[in-house]
Amino acid sequence: MTTFSAVHTPSRWWQSRVMRRFMEHRLALLGLSMITLLTLACIVGPSLLPYDSLSIDLRARFAPPLSGGHYLGTDPLGRDVAARLLMAGRISLLVGFTAMLLSIVVGTVVGVIAGYQGGWINAVLMRTVDGFLSYPSIFLLLALAAALKPSPVMITVIIAVTSWMEVARIVEAEVRSLKEREFVLAGRMLGLGRAHIMFREILPNAMGPIIVAATLTVARAILLEAYVSFLGFGIQPPLPSWGNMLNGAQQYLGSAPWLAIIPGAAITIAVTSFNFIGDGLRDALDVRHDTI
Amino acid sequence: MTKNEFLKSGYSRRAALRLFAAGGAAGLFAPHLLGRPAFAQTPPAAPTGRIIVGISQEPTVFNPLMAHIEVDDGVHFSMFDALFRIDPQGVIVPNLAAEVPTQANGGISEDGLSWRIRLRDDVRWHDGEAFTAEDVKFTLELITKPDFRAWRTTGHALLRDIAVVSPTEITWRMERAFAPYLSFLTETFIVPRHILEKEADPNTAAFNQAPIGTGAFKWGKRIAGDHLELVANPDYFGEGPYIEQLIFKYIPDMTVLYTQFRSGDIDLVGQAYITPDNYEEARNLPGRVVTLVPKGSVESIYLNLERPQFKDRAVREALYLAIDRHAIIDGLNYGVPGMTETFMPLQSYYHNPDLPKHEFNLDRARQLLDEAGWVPGADGIRVKDGVRLSFKNSTTSGAHLREQAQQFIQQTFAEIGVEMTIENLPSAVMWGDFWSQSQFDTAMVGITYLIGADPDVTNRFHTKAIVAKGGSGSNNAQYSDAEVDALLEEGSRTFDPEARRKIYFRVQELIRRDLPFLPLFANTLVYGHKEGIEGYVPNGNTRTESWHAAGWFRA
Amino acid sequence: MPAFLLKRLMQSVMLLVIVSIVGFVVLNLIPGGPMAQYALDPGMTQEDMNRLAEQLGLNRPLWVQYLDWIWRLVQGDWGTSFRDGSPVLDVIGRHVFATLLLMGSSTVIAVAVGTWIGIRGATHRYSTFDYLATVGAMIALSIPTFWFGLIGIYVFSLKLGWLPAGNMYTIGDGSVLNYLHHLIMPSTVLALVHIAIWSRFMRAATLDAISQEFVKTARAKGVGERRVILKHVVGNALLPMITLAGVQLPSLLTGALVTETVFTWPGMGRLFLDSLGYSDYPVVMGLLIFSAILTIAGNLIADIVVALVDPRIRLA
Repeated sequence: MTTFSAVHTPSRWWQSRVMRRFMEHRLALLGLSMITLLTLACIVGPSLLPYDSLSIDLRARFAPPLSGGHYLGTDPLGRDVAARLLMAGRISLLVGFTAMLLSIVVGTVVGVIAGYQGGWINAVLMRTVDGFLSYPSIFLLLALAAALKPSPVMITVIIAVTSWMEVARIVEAEVRSLKEREFVLAGRMLGLGRAHIMFREILPNAMGPIIVAATLTVARAILLEAYVSFLGFGIQPPLPSWGNMLNGAQQYLGSAPWLAIIPGAAITIAVTSFNFIGDGLRDALDVRHDTI
Repeated sequence: MTKNEFLKSGYSRRAALRLFAAGGAAGLFAPHLLGRPAFAQTPPAAPTGRIIVGISQEPTVFNPLMAHIEVDDGVHFSMFDALFRIDPQGVIVPNLAAEVPTQANGGISEDGLSWRIRLRDDVRWHDGEAFTAEDVKFTLELITKPDFRAWRTTGHALLRDIAVVSPTEITWRMERAFAPYLSFLTETFIVPRHILEKEADPNTAAFNQAPIGTGAFKWGKRIAGDHLELVANPDYFGEGPYIEQLIFKYIPDMTVLYTQFRSGDIDLVGQAYITPDNYEEARNLPGRVVTLVPKGSVESIYLNLERPQFKDRAVREALYLAIDRHAIIDGLNYGVPGMTETFMPLQSYYHNPDLPKHEFNLDRARQLLDEAGWVPGADGIRVKDGVRLSFKNSTTSGAHLREQAQQFIQQTFAEIGVEMTIENLPSAVMWGDFWSQSQFDTAMVGITYLIGADPDVTNRFHTKAIVAKGGSGSNNAQYSDAEVDALLEEGSRTFDPEARRKIYFRVQELIRRDLPFLPLFANTLVYGHKEGIEGYVPNGNTRTESWHAAGWFRA
Repeated sequence: MPAFLLKRLMQSVMLLVIVSIVGFVVLNLIPGGPMAQYALDPGMTQEDMNRLAEQLGLNRPLWVQYLDWIWRLVQGDWGTSFRDGSPVLDVIGRHVFATLLLMGSSTVIAVAVGTWIGIRGATHRYSTFDYLATVGAMIALSIPTFWFGLIGIYVFSLKLGWLPAGNMYTIGDGSVLNYLHHLIMPSTVLALVHIAIWSRFMRAATLDAISQEFVKTARAKGVGERRVILKHVVGNALLPMITLAGVQLPSLLTGALVTETVFTWPGMGRLFLDSLGYSDYPVVMGLLIFSAILTIAGNLIADIVVALVDPRIRLA
């Protein structure tokens, strides 16, 4: 299903050749600059806008974009959509990033151990991965979101729980192919500990695919957060997230379409950017991924 | 019809109710459940045409005795008959019974313990068999069978010695006097003995998937997940039916439901109706008739009185003062719902109109809290004896109008130094133990307090109904007051409407004083149907728009 | 081959058991449960709800409930829906057609459009078309499906009034045209992601094939370019495509869930959400097992077909 050629150049992955190839990838650069802009806007933006994301003004409900100083209009409670969108961006991006970190850590640890140890440890770990993968991820997401109280932290954990398996598979395949390499054998002969070999010798050489998987996992995590919150199981109001801004927007599709269009566009831009970056990294790091 | 007109007509209706409630005059209504307005079109001689009712939940339970939810009612009311029905004015009228038993006509004994019901002799099941008292006996006994997955058993469990006197007469004895039972019987549909007694297990009987009733419509076919088709029963003993097909179309999304009403794909918007934010637009749609119908439920911030924050009545009063109800009703809900101070529906004969009126007054609220010793802490949130005036509010997630109201109230509460955080839950979680075992701090909820139009609220306010303390009922606020307990017990034993009215007026005063819930508004539904559909009469005393589809016709 | 099959089968059964145990536990972890729907009924008492829970066997210890459930399942009894009292397989069966129709039509669209884009992209490598297709595919994979559906409804139903906002057909009009009319939007929305995947995949497969010897030979023999592509390239790329199709089989349930929700499509995804909402455990468990079986079967079938078609691959 997925195979990767090893990154076994003696130099480190971030050295100039990789950088140069990434910089030549126009889409990746576009993605990187869009994400940088978006992140900056989310961090700085709210303090520059004249409106607060939480202040309710029932006299200014449903103001269309570009009216009364509301660049992107107002929502059903008269709150400024622009301010909410940027605040929501903080939450959504943070949830996406943190969920990615969590799933990368879990997936990598599982993948490295399974790949290096082989045998029954591999069988148990990888069958667990298969088991998780054979669930409709929506089921796990919704069931867990219903079972646990939906706070941003919880949502992050839940998304991570449903996203680590792919990383584990990728890393396992990579490690399995790396562990027979000379430098690993050499390390073993030198009497280095198992953990040392796994995480100090093999892991750095498997970073390429992990980094690619990381960018794609952020993209996926943002989409998942949006979907769960859209269904009302995710981030709870008044805290805005891109997903929960869409929840309820459906109701006003006819009368206030901007409520649906704007957050959705933000999600698409963010996710596309991450996918562009991932694509660029894949080329630059020479990672092959057959099923894209 | 505007809301005001509707409320106005409520008063004249009360006068009518008093008249009917006093004696057996209700019998005059049969077989027509409704007085038809003079200007109405006349229905066709034979059933013609089809009406599609759009509903946002899927009916799945077709045996009316089994545990079911609101949306199944429409099917049951159309396919089955009960001994009695409740009309839009809250009057109980005969259905399968020939008259409504009262103490005056001897149907109910003076002590309220012996009941005698006389039945119609002209009723046939959809398969042609005659309906008799044996069917009634079978039905009442089936409900309390230990293995049968029955719907509610309140009242039925009190029955003793059910006896068939003749095919048209049945008697029983009650364990104790229970006036609300008549209302329970209006929602107890009679099932055919000759079919169900043959079944080894009534829970899984074939009947449950293709039922046979006595009602105006017969089972047609069901496309699961999509729609249910009922067809006219030309031999119906009562009024109608005037349409050939009655279709319940399942449209799980409120936006699509409304869109399809607008586009004309559905003829009539059923449960959960048109959302208030679409009311203004819907009203102006050409070729559509949109009506506001007061519902029996009251929307409120429901408090868990065992939480230390709420033990102090001053806190509850202050919170009530800090809710801008006019903004919620007129702003967020577009003026659709009605103002209320009580759990009793505005249109009820038992509604007490003289309760103290709510005012929105943040200064007064702050003053109350100051006087009661709740002083703002370092973070601005008030504290007293180590208790922070901070609590959670929960409701079903995804209910967008409620979520808006929550966030709005959150803001005004913050202005008086009260912190309300929002923690919404999926409905299956919200209404589980979290609700029934009183694990919430506060909930935003619309509660129907009455069964039919009966004013008994023992279930909601009696000390014995606190489930979290081992009681039985749904007193989830854990409200407890000795005087209210005594009044409720007296009320459920009393059959005379005038006497009951006094009792429940006092109950409402006490509840308004103690504020176990902070009323937001009396729920009002926005009904809609196409022009040219006649005979459509809303009935706030039932849970369904399709309580009388027999009378609908296309002009 | 038989030994391989046996091993795979054993593994699959183990996997199913694990999936069902985890599913059962997670499902029962959700507070609330099947009685929640009755909680606001004015006449329903706690006793009534306790009685119903008892009658449904929900008061038994979890492991007893699980063993009972799986024992019946082994005997072919998938249980009875709490909600409508029919056997779970019947309930699922009633929703299969709608999902198959939606998935089928969207697959047709995805394969047709995706194959065309992929081959054209490969034969016109680095052209504007290829570039746009690549970018387009990336964007298509990034758009939230539910949002795309909403925008579709806004444009084509609310504003233009061309397409219905939901449902599978108009009641009283069961004509093929009517079905098609209702199918256009949901199947296109659902196809979007799959077009992206198929086109990327076809592009890679075609590039792979073009570089191979037999294609070069055919070309050298003077066979027309079109024929070469159609016969050799597509024929050769078909193999991995079968694998992909097999792997995608389980999205029968999940893939359609979002689309079915937005377009109120009466399929299995919708059933799944409803059943989860009402805590109809037997149906949810049934759907989980159903989807797990599809996943496993999909992978297995893909492996076997590939092995049969391509003698170079040996099943080990």
